[in-house]
Amino acid sequence: MRKDNRMAPPLNNQVSARLLIAERLGQAEIFSDLLQEDLIAIAEFCREETYQEGETILVEDRPAETLFVIARGKAALEKKIQIGRHSTPRNAAIGYVGPGKITGFSVLTTPYIYSTSAVCLEPTRVIAIDGPSLRAYLQAHPSAGLKVMENIASLIADRYRNATHTLTYFLSIVSHELRAPLAAIENYLQTMHAGYAGELTPKQERMLQRSILRVTDLSALISDVVDLARLRPEQIQADFEWFDPGEVGTESIEDVRLAAAEKGIKIRVEPPPKFEPIVGARRRMRQVFTNLLNNAIKFSPAGSQVIFRACYEPDALIFEVEDEGPGIAEEDLPHIFTDFYRASSAGEIPGAGLGLSIAKKIMDAHDGQILVENLAGEAGVSGTRFAVVIPRTLQTPEMRRRPEAVVGDGY
Amino acid sequence: MKHQRKGSVEKQPYILIVDDDPDILEGILTILETQPYRLATARDGKKCMELVQEELPDLLILDLLMPRMDGWGVIREMRNDPRFARVPIMILTTVIEDASRRRYELETGMAMEVQDYIQKPARPADLIQRVSKLLSLDASKHAER
Repeated sequence: MRKDNRMAPPLNNQVSARLLIAERLGQAEIFSDLLQEDLIAIAEFCREETYQEGETILVEDRPAETLFVIARGKAALEKKIQIGRHSTPRNAAIGYVGPGKITGFSVLTTPYIYSTSAVCLEPTRVIAIDGPSLRAYLQAHPSAGLKVMENIASLIADRYRNATHTLTYFLSIVSHELRAPLAAIENYLQTMHAGYAGELTPKQERMLQRSILRVTDLSALISDVVDLARLRPEQIQADFEWFDPGEVGTESIEDVRLAAAEKGIKIRVEPPPKFEPIVGARRRMRQVFTNLLNNAIKFSPAGSQVIFRACYEPDALIFEVEDEGPGIAEEDLPHIFTDFYRASSAGEIPGAGLGLSIAKKIMDAHDGQILVENLAGEAGVSGTRFAVVIPRTLQTPEMRRRPEAVVGDGY
Repeated sequence: MKHQRKGSVEKQPYILIVDDDPDILEGILTILETQPYRLATARDGKKCMELVQEELPDLLILDLLMPRMDGWGVIREMRNDPRFARVPIMILTTVIEDASRRRYELETGMAMEVQDYIQKPARPADLIQRVSKLLSLDASKHAER
């Protein structure tokens, strides 16, 4: 019988290669507390692989047959997102794995389908573990199996905690996909409504005006839902800058002009004698004012008046929005700033119950306050007053970095 | 694509509108066609740069999120090329202004130099007024030289 020398490397090489793999496996988070003998046994059905930057290690939705331990390099875990039939599918990175981390834990959990893709961000070396063999080994060695499954559970719990982050990312993509077609519709409606596509009958004009209002509502609703995930205080504070609050107030009035006109509601503006610049997140502040004004308009009877007032106190700027609506029931008052809460009086009035909770989050990030009270029902007069208190002591990121550069009063 | 009106078109300001959404393009064209301008359109950044090389526009109306080359890429190319650096750019997009300025700064280390920024949808009267303002600024700049 002829001896085949090509069959395998010498035995001691094979053994040392297996020991090396076992050692690397021991450094992986999910195998860290296994016994040496388990690691050596598992190393038997492992192989080393290398991938170049941009190469895919595993693909979402494919059968999970291999578990990968990253030995060197870095990979992004990605999920495919497609909203609607017409939008381009995109990959969103929902996490990253480096040395000692694993990807492809779905080989150990039914239905054995990869839940993400993994794409290399740099040249990466991995240890590929055959999934069915690993499952069989862990079944036959329950104490090792239990340790591995415990580690997998804690790893999944970690990834789950990161879900907010992931959600934010998803939502920013969703937001664009939803807004793009709406923008096209809004653009056509505005163009037709303004008469650029030919003359309109009064009925057509009215329908177009209603369509514009409804689409504007829808687009505000999308922004609101998307904002919920994005409104973290540090994100808002990063946008702090000097701005003219009078200008922002004017923009908010413009935002709600059409909705007010539709119900014949007059907005009475009571500005201070002079607006002084303050520090805050300009765009977010406009959102607070617009939300409060919209809210007031929604709950006001047709033909009534909404007052938009501003005044300075030594250490704060206060904006108030006052309506002549039915007021808010006592039992609703503690909850109106909660996400998705709709007051009992909201009834048929459209909305997702997000406007006020968003305003509250924005004010919290400004160390400010948002207050609400029902106006005393004297002589049949009712209504609600919202007050927004913005501290005048806020600092831009620049000022926080270089506190000595702040110019004091009187210079 | 060129959208020319008959008559003496030589002196009319030339506006290039770039957006990947054909419906947005049609809407904007419908509005601007009522004005004495020469209009051209492109559906992505690469095509936009081709057209800019053929003839320098008096104004570029630019979307940001587009295939092939996006709006930020177009701004970068325009501002880095002395031949195109002076063309006024109006951004017309669904992306909010601070987010897109931040992105540009992160990518290039420079401030995003554009002359106007409109978040979609543009109100027709507003659009016309802002376009004419940008064109007259440009004209007065030329007159000074």
